[in-house]
Amino acid sequence: MREQLLDFQQGRLVPDLVTSVRRHLDGCGDCAHADQVERELTQVLERRTPQYPAPVALKRKLAANWPTSAPVVPRRGFRSWMRLVLPPVVLATAALLFLVPDMRGLVAPTGPAASVMVGEAVNDHVRLLQSERPLEVESSGIHQVIPWFSGKLDFAPGIRFAGDAEFPLRGGAVGYFVDRKAAALVYGRRLHSISLFVFKADGLPWPSAPLEPVGRAHVYRTAARGFNVLLWRDGELGYALVSDVSAGDLILLASKLAPPA
Amino acid sequence: MSRGGDAGQAWELGREALAYADTLYNLARYLAGNDTDAEDLVQETYSRALGSSGQFTPGTNLKAWLFRILRNTFISQYRRQRGNPVVGGLDTVAPIPPAAADINWVRDDVELDRLRKVMAEDIERALMTLSEDARTVILLDLEGLSEVETAEVMGCAVGTVKSRLSRARAALRSLLKDWKR
Repeated sequence: MREQLLDFQQGRLVPDLVTSVRRHLDGCGDCAHADQVERELTQVLERRTPQYPAPVALKRKLAANWPTSAPVVPRRGFRSWMRLVLPPVVLATAALLFLVPDMRGLVAPTGPAASVMVGEAVNDHVRLLQSERPLEVESSGIHQVIPWFSGKLDFAPGIRFAGDAEFPLRGGAVGYFVDRKAAALVYGRRLHSISLFVFKADGLPWPSAPLEPVGRAHVYRTAARGFNVLLWRDGELGYALVSDVSAGDLILLASKLAPPA
Repeated sequence: MSRGGDAGQAWELGREALAYADTLYNLARYLAGNDTDAEDLVQETYSRALGSSGQFTPGTNLKAWLFRILRNTFISQYRRQRGNPVVGGLDTVAPIPPAAADINWVRDDVELDRLRKVMAEDIERALMTLSEDARTVILLDLEGLSEVETAEVMGCAVGTVKSRLSRARAALRSLLKDWKR
């Protein structure tokens, strides 16, 4: 029974065995205690094991040594074609945006403008982690964290996901995203921190493609400076999820934050 | 415009691989025991990964693949160079007699209480006391790797991972409990 405790705690047992372990733990004090000690050890390791993030200089070195931009193979004649066509297109688009301001919100670039959003998300995440007191409200209770934002923002963050064993909520703070205030919530993933920024979505250069469906959201996924980043809009609000956890883990969290309607 | 074949694939891989720099460095730091060697180890890992990017199967676990390269690099270079007895196999850890392990499980609120008071430096000291195998299996488990992925990283059977993890945690618990006495 004792050998199965870790598997039981980490959800690796088949349903029949889970039932049998549960039944045994209900009737055996020693094993129940062993279960408690194992859980405590896991919690202590997850929360207090010192973490050594890679120094920024090392990250720069790694990025410099790895081919960080895709080699571009232009088609024959493409450049000269672009030279002819691009200027009028750019001028026409700029004029359209200038004359019809509402169009700006509808244009969704994927290039340099989208990188503004991605860069901002990564910067905000790093700033949050590096600040002496990253969380202004430290709590794992969503009903303590969300009400704390009342009066500090001119929108409600609209977060319903209270955190769970996989992604415990750690707390929140008020921050800025580009030019506007944002609610910053921090979730944990084992030893890693995941920042979620919620902000008003209008007027930002949202990427349009490629978008992946995750829950009810259509998510733009990318990586920058060693961090994975997800961006999506839901109504009037925008969401940026950033962390050094795997893209798969971020998508899993995003699916919990924006569950199917 | 199109991305050029192998170079394009290496670029895609690199984009994802760089996201794991912190995670890899953390394991490297616990394996090497100091910042300088950890940095060298991570750089060598990325260099080897870049060199063999064509061998990575898209769709498989990149993180586990990088961990495996890092650990193999550590074993092939650092263990030999430094002749460090700490980084031997799990068997270098004083085995815990089964009877003693059983005694540890006896209902005892004091043990739980001690565990709750363990500090970060206690954990690091205890981890560094364990063998490289034991330390690695605990850190990979903390990273959220499955037993199958950990087995791939460590080049052993899944059953071996299970027993190593169980023994490593028992050794860690025993160390932490004794220090907090």
